[in-house]
Amino acid sequence: MSTTATEELPQNVLAEGLDTVKRAPPGVLVVFGASGDLTHRKLLPALERLSRRRLLPAAFAIVGVARTEMDDDGFRSLMKSAVPDAGPGWGEIIKNSIYIAGEYTHPDTFSQLQERLKSIDETLGTGGNRTFYLATIPEMFGEVATELGKSGLNEPEHGGSARLVIEKPFGRDRATARELDTTLHQYFDENQIYRIDHYLGKETVQNVLALRFANAIFEPLWTRNYIDHVQVTVAETVGVEKRGSFYETAGALRDIVQNHVMQVLSLTLMEPPISTDADGVRGEKVKALRSVVVPKPGDIANVAVRAQYDSGWVEGNSVVGYRQEEGVNPQSQTETYVALKLSVDNWRWAGVPIYVRTGKRLPKRVTEVALQFKAVPHLAFPKEAALGLNPNALVMRIQPDEGVTLRFGAKVPGQTFMVRDVLMDFSYGAAFLEETPDAYERLLLDAMVGDPTLFIRSDEVDTAWGIVQPLLDVWGAGDAPLAGYASGSWGPRAAETLIERDGRKWRTP
Amino acid sequence: MADALSPGSADGQVPPGSLAGAGPAGDGAAGDGGDPAGGPQAVQSWEKTRANLGEVLDALPELRRKASAREAGTRTAVMTLVMVASSDVEVEDFAASVRSLGAHHPCRVVIVRPDPDSTPAIDAKACLWQAQPPEAVGHPVFFEEIHLRVGGQAASHLASIVSPFVLGDLPAVMWFPWDLPDSSDPLLRLASAILVDTRDVGPNPSALAHSYRTLLELVNHCPVVDLSWVRLQPWRELLAGLFEPEHNRAFLPEVRLATVTGKPGPRHVLGGWLLAQLDLRAREVVLSDAKHVDITLKAQLGDETGTFQVHRDDSTRAVWATAETSGGTHHRQALPLPDDSLTAALSAAISNLRADRVWERALASAASLAS
Repeated sequence: MSTTATEELPQNVLAEGLDTVKRAPPGVLVVFGASGDLTHRKLLPALERLSRRRLLPAAFAIVGVARTEMDDDGFRSLMKSAVPDAGPGWGEIIKNSIYIAGEYTHPDTFSQLQERLKSIDETLGTGGNRTFYLATIPEMFGEVATELGKSGLNEPEHGGSARLVIEKPFGRDRATARELDTTLHQYFDENQIYRIDHYLGKETVQNVLALRFANAIFEPLWTRNYIDHVQVTVAETVGVEKRGSFYETAGALRDIVQNHVMQVLSLTLMEPPISTDADGVRGEKVKALRSVVVPKPGDIANVAVRAQYDSGWVEGNSVVGYRQEEGVNPQSQTETYVALKLSVDNWRWAGVPIYVRTGKRLPKRVTEVALQFKAVPHLAFPKEAALGLNPNALVMRIQPDEGVTLRFGAKVPGQTFMVRDVLMDFSYGAAFLEETPDAYERLLLDAMVGDPTLFIRSDEVDTAWGIVQPLLDVWGAGDAPLAGYASGSWGPRAAETLIERDGRKWRTP
Repeated sequence: MADALSPGSADGQVPPGSLAGAGPAGDGAAGDGGDPAGGPQAVQSWEKTRANLGEVLDALPELRRKASAREAGTRTAVMTLVMVASSDVEVEDFAASVRSLGAHHPCRVVIVRPDPDSTPAIDAKACLWQAQPPEAVGHPVFFEEIHLRVGGQAASHLASIVSPFVLGDLPAVMWFPWDLPDSSDPLLRLASAILVDTRDVGPNPSALAHSYRTLLELVNHCPVVDLSWVRLQPWRELLAGLFEPEHNRAFLPEVRLATVTGKPGPRHVLGGWLLAQLDLRAREVVLSDAKHVDITLKAQLGDETGTFQVHRDDSTRAVWATAETSGGTHHRQALPLPDDSLTAALSAAISNLRADRVWERALASAASLAS
């Protein structure tokens, strides 16, 4: 039977009422870099979990593409070994799946791909729906997208869809990010491109939206009228592990600030969207990022600190300094820690400094956003009665132990009137003990379904690069000081100075 | 469990430690109650025969206070779950499942056992349970379980007894594991949603039809969620999924025979679903008895025939969905056997407490199939 346009098909009446769960439609996931570590360690297990959760259709296949010589059976064995304890549904997906060995720059690879996709559409009824996942090194993104375009695979067939999924980094700086975009847009429209920052796949990052916009009590306070400043902390206890040579080319600014921090920040600063659909949320995020004042090169010494970890003790283990790590230049100038003071020029946030810090080998793994409220205008109690009292703070803990904490003052029980800080604590995991989907699961499913809300739009990437570009330029010129900090500490003294000269201090998460 | 509320000492205070599996032993502090394999653990308990409700309500904060002295923890509740048990056996059978739910949806659990033929009195016990979040991240969760055995005339006025225990501002879910309430029961006015289970409704067709019609009256009060319907969702999803590919979709309006096997409850509800959704005639739906649910649809599209089947295969411990057409298309999908435990069904049900018009239509059609 020939395929017909979707609108001519009878409605699937048996699916009525089952739409509370998002499920992938029939389709093919084409993975470039299929023999690589990301595919084996993350993508295939995430797909198996989706299958186990009944979120993949019967008409579904994976097509692996990579340079490694391997046949279909070899790829099927690889799929099997990636999920040793797979459910029975995985076996059927494995049977449907195939592999193409070839160079990403060679047209033959793509003509083979086209033929085999056509064959899968015919035998399996996948309806021309294709999701191309580029699990390759970032340098190949442009090449693969171009070859897909040249072979016509960028054009949806039979009323199906053709989507391209790439994962950060999106360029090394603003110029290379724009070059990449230009290349991608040569054959793919923006609405076909799904840029992954796996941070956005985390339930608790999405919970920032729920906290802000599903509750009436927080939003009125979420302004310069009540908030003194904001602190964003993304702290890791790990060093560069085996990724020393990669990290040398990245650094904390590119690896964390340009993407993860900017994403969390934009969700925190954004105005209420008119809807939570893709354009509603992403439009407001971009507006928020555009309001962040781009640091001027001459101010960078006053608003930014970069540092590198020295040896020390973390979680009871003695660890080496960054320059002693495998694959790292002993004279490296790459930063493993960044502290920033940003300001935002808009009605809501004018005059509210945003302090950001991120680093490796810090004492604790934690990601949080803290809104520090202003102190009460007049304290009615004797000073001694309120020694243990600090201004209110609302802390959104993103990982681990996701939740929200509100700090407020309470009377200490007893005859004397003493006030001190107490915490009202909501632990996400304690109210909802359900297993939450892993970020890759969520994002893979969204890409196949065609929901771009949690993916980063081109203008978001560009705006985020715009904010960090002056720092890259100044630090890249090699003139800015590079501080050291002991592994297991909260960062260099210069970072303390950055915030203390405003009469504030870093929180201890 | 049912004997836990047996008469105690002269003053009505049951000696601590006399509960059979309902809570900790000894001084009322953390004992060996609960599931040693990682399920909720009882940390504090209280009980009294011939109690008044004020005493029970006072006991609850006291249990939390004592628990906090030992380990920091706060009560967590996302709803009140009221189970109305019609027999001691039911209490025994279902209480553990309800408690396991605390590890997924911490609720204040109120288990009421009306016993109009016994002495007019309320025997009560309250227990504080602790569940550890997954991967031991975060704080332990504490939730309360209250058992009320209501004797005498008060057994006919459960709303007045349950009402003080319903947490304000949160949904109150009423679960009737066996006997369905009359639609005029004042207890229903407290309910945000009602849970029922049509899996085990009797084999007698007229009883089936009567139960279905009673349920359809309850939907006028608030959403009714059928645990059996929840358990059957994987079957429905798999069958619907077979018609997602365009080629197969065209067969859907052409289905002329639907065969459903299974126990009386599930096969009737599924048969009713197919009858209603596919607009079939009653004689095109064939129901037959079997241990497990299987569904087969046969369709004729021009010269092509299509067979669409969802069946359970114990040898692979999987549910298989297969579509075959004489035109040559073939789809197979397999899923691990779904968890059909009561706890899993309850957990899924209270995750989605909303009216389900598809189920209501299925039930109405099931009643006509059973008549």
